[in-house]
Amino acid sequence: MAKSDANSDRAYDERPRPLAGVRVVDFTWIVAGPQATRILADLGADVIRVENEGHMDSLRTGLPADGDPHPDRSGIFNNFNRNKRGITANIYHPRTRELIEQLITGADAVTENFSPGAFARMGFSFERLRELNPKIIYLSLSGYGHYGRDSSYVTWGPTAQAVSGLTYISGLPDQAPAGWGYSYLDHSAGYYGAIAMLLALRRRDRIEGAQRIDISQVETGMVMTGVTMLDCQINGRESERIGNRSRHPALAPHGAYRCAGDDRWITIAAETEQHWRELCEELGHPALAEDERFASLEARLAAQDELDAAITECTREREPRALMFALQARGVPAGLAQNMPDKMQDEQLASRGFYRAAPSPYVGDRFYEGLPFLFRQLGWDVRRGAPGMGEHIDEVLTELGCTPEEIAQLRAEAAV
Amino acid sequence: MSERPPLPDFAASLDGAPILDRVRVVEVGDLGEIAGRLLADVGADVIRVEPPSGTDSRHIGPYPNDEPGVETSLRFAAHNANKRGVTLDLEHAEGHALWRRLCESADVVIDGSGHGVLDGLGAGWEARLADGWAGPRVWCSITPFGREGPWADWASSDLVQLALGGPMMSTGYTDHDLPPIRGGFDHSYWMGGEYAVVGILGALFGLDAGAVEGPELVDMAIHDAVSATTEGAFPSWEYRREINQRATGRHSAPGPTPEIQFPTVDGRHMNVIGGGQPRSARYLDDMLDWMDRYDAAEDLREPRYRAAIFAARNEAEGERQRFSEVTKRFVAMLTTEEAYRGGQGMHLPWGIVRRPEENLDDPHWTDRESFAPIELPDGQQARLPVGPYRFEGVPRGLPCRAPLLGEHNHAVFHEEMGVPAGDLPGLSERGAI
Repeated sequence: MAKSDANSDRAYDERPRPLAGVRVVDFTWIVAGPQATRILADLGADVIRVENEGHMDSLRTGLPADGDPHPDRSGIFNNFNRNKRGITANIYHPRTRELIEQLITGADAVTENFSPGAFARMGFSFERLRELNPKIIYLSLSGYGHYGRDSSYVTWGPTAQAVSGLTYISGLPDQAPAGWGYSYLDHSAGYYGAIAMLLALRRRDRIEGAQRIDISQVETGMVMTGVTMLDCQINGRESERIGNRSRHPALAPHGAYRCAGDDRWITIAAETEQHWRELCEELGHPALAEDERFASLEARLAAQDELDAAITECTREREPRALMFALQARGVPAGLAQNMPDKMQDEQLASRGFYRAAPSPYVGDRFYEGLPFLFRQLGWDVRRGAPGMGEHIDEVLTELGCTPEEIAQLRAEAAV
Repeated sequence: MSERPPLPDFAASLDGAPILDRVRVVEVGDLGEIAGRLLADVGADVIRVEPPSGTDSRHIGPYPNDEPGVETSLRFAAHNANKRGVTLDLEHAEGHALWRRLCESADVVIDGSGHGVLDGLGAGWEARLADGWAGPRVWCSITPFGREGPWADWASSDLVQLALGGPMMSTGYTDHDLPPIRGGFDHSYWMGGEYAVVGILGALFGLDAGAVEGPELVDMAIHDAVSATTEGAFPSWEYRREINQRATGRHSAPGPTPEIQFPTVDGRHMNVIGGGQPRSARYLDDMLDWMDRYDAAEDLREPRYRAAIFAARNEAEGERQRFSEVTKRFVAMLTTEEAYRGGQGMHLPWGIVRRPEENLDDPHWTDRESFAPIELPDGQQARLPVGPYRFEGVPRGLPCRAPLLGEHNHAVFHEEMGVPAGDLPGLSERGAI
């Protein structure tokens, strides 16, 4: 692929998008559900968020772009809901319900991430959805899934990380679990939600009827622990925290090493003897490679505390970014532990156009994280920021055949 | 082409077709093995191509009894269930020719063999495009940093990816004398694999819809996938110019935040989101009754704590802090199991900090058939967590074990591609397969 194909930003944005023409009626909120529908919207789907103003998505008040929290100026909401349209709806108002049902009848999919049963109690059981639309795809994300004895249990990302086992196996052996420093499984549940939706869209024309998909967030974490579980079952070995070390394969040195500056760290993964010798050369300490404590992988594995201390002695005065480039020039796997300012200067991400700028009437021109793949001919894009609260009421209701007078009446009745 | 291989039961829907029907995937190299597994789990015919000596991931443990063996890696077993396997030496002329024919029979090729490796052999995307191969329709290149760019040929590993992409600077301990932490284990490959499947399915859908003619490339960079998986760190910086700081067992944030990971009486930990304060008055009463049974409610029945539930985010911080401290002392009286069941029984999102394998015996996951029995290559039986989506009407069932080295050479090369059976031993002796 010619580089210009991928990176001439506007030209790329004009490419055909794979999900153009797909419509998703999106009842999701917070992070996991919106992560799934964000991917669909980036790929060109018309995602229409249906929000309840009286029970607002709490993400709308998180990380305000300036000053006090405001529903239309949340940075994190904006990041997870770009490219979508949004309406507010009082689904208990009879005319509003009719309109939402009409929207579902004309859509391809409905998404939600409420607790199991909540969406049905709102009047949108799967049975009702498929009455409205015999080919509907209904995707539900929840903590523990829609069946099973604990299906009423509730999760936030960190809850699911704890229960699935991811928290326990992340951290130093002599410390409490470090876990993950964010809702990793909100991302993962969203990724699996997007995958499931793409599978269902492809499958739709090959089967009769509607499709219902049940995703448990905790299970998305468990799926990633297969190797650990097999080791436990076959070798009777309990899972452990091993910090930044590598047991499979057994490697040393393998860790994060302090560098010059405030909280600056470089990671180094020496996979071969050549890597180890090059590392010692670069650190200006070729004698380390000859030190009998570190002369073989076996020896280094047996003396990792000393090894890590010896390396840190050499790295702590080094500027981490320059050290990363120097080690990479020698072919040694090494990477700065990048914070956000580092990532915004990351020339590799920049070369792929990973951060895309788009306008928003609420927070101005901003960067957004893109999708991590580039197509040859197809495209994805970030066209605009997230919808303000109820921003597309007039547009969507007009598409459904409402007159301006009727829309005004619905507003007057607090129905939208 | 001859018949499909037998399908895993759980991929068969009520009408007999798998969720991902009539899609053949050829997968080579190790960076794509999770993407391949995810596609195999939903019924794609995934053919794993390895060099005759076995792909690198066969040489990574753990192994049964810690005895290395090319057929027994548990890592390989987990990441390659439901696939078939063939051997091909792409540097060998005859192997190269078979590789092209195999790719042409496929809908999707997943190339995880490393930046530039296949293109250097004239066996990659560039050859497929320039030489007018008849297939595949979708070529997914999974590389550490992407096909092009200043870092494209950099050395990489899971640790390096989680550092460069940002997760590590958000993950670790409040004490910054301790290093940033790489979450266990291999998550950069999961992030990359999951997004690769999004790209592949998106490309297939776009091609089927006639949006473009194809062939289509999915140039998937693991670095980008990891960089997109850091939740609040990006908006904190983009909108507020704040840098999220690591904090023990909880979300990173620009400033200090309350603890949420509380020790229990059995020496373990509970994840108590929000410091324990319920989000409704009803659950507050339930929780106080529960605490009273341990004489642990202290002063929490005072009205100011009830009022704090309804206070704005930046108000009543003293009450919230105090509530959290009392809850921490209460949780310290309970076992993790008591805290978990008790908290969840009150609709509190409390999570037990479990070892992964403890889920094997949790009845809820048994109800959901979250683990499927799998046979390992040495004949031992184990249970493996399987795909996290349930399509209604599609039964869960048995995954097929990962392929032995070259196990399906005969089926694929002879039965499906028409190579005379008598030629296979010679191809093998000459090192082509």
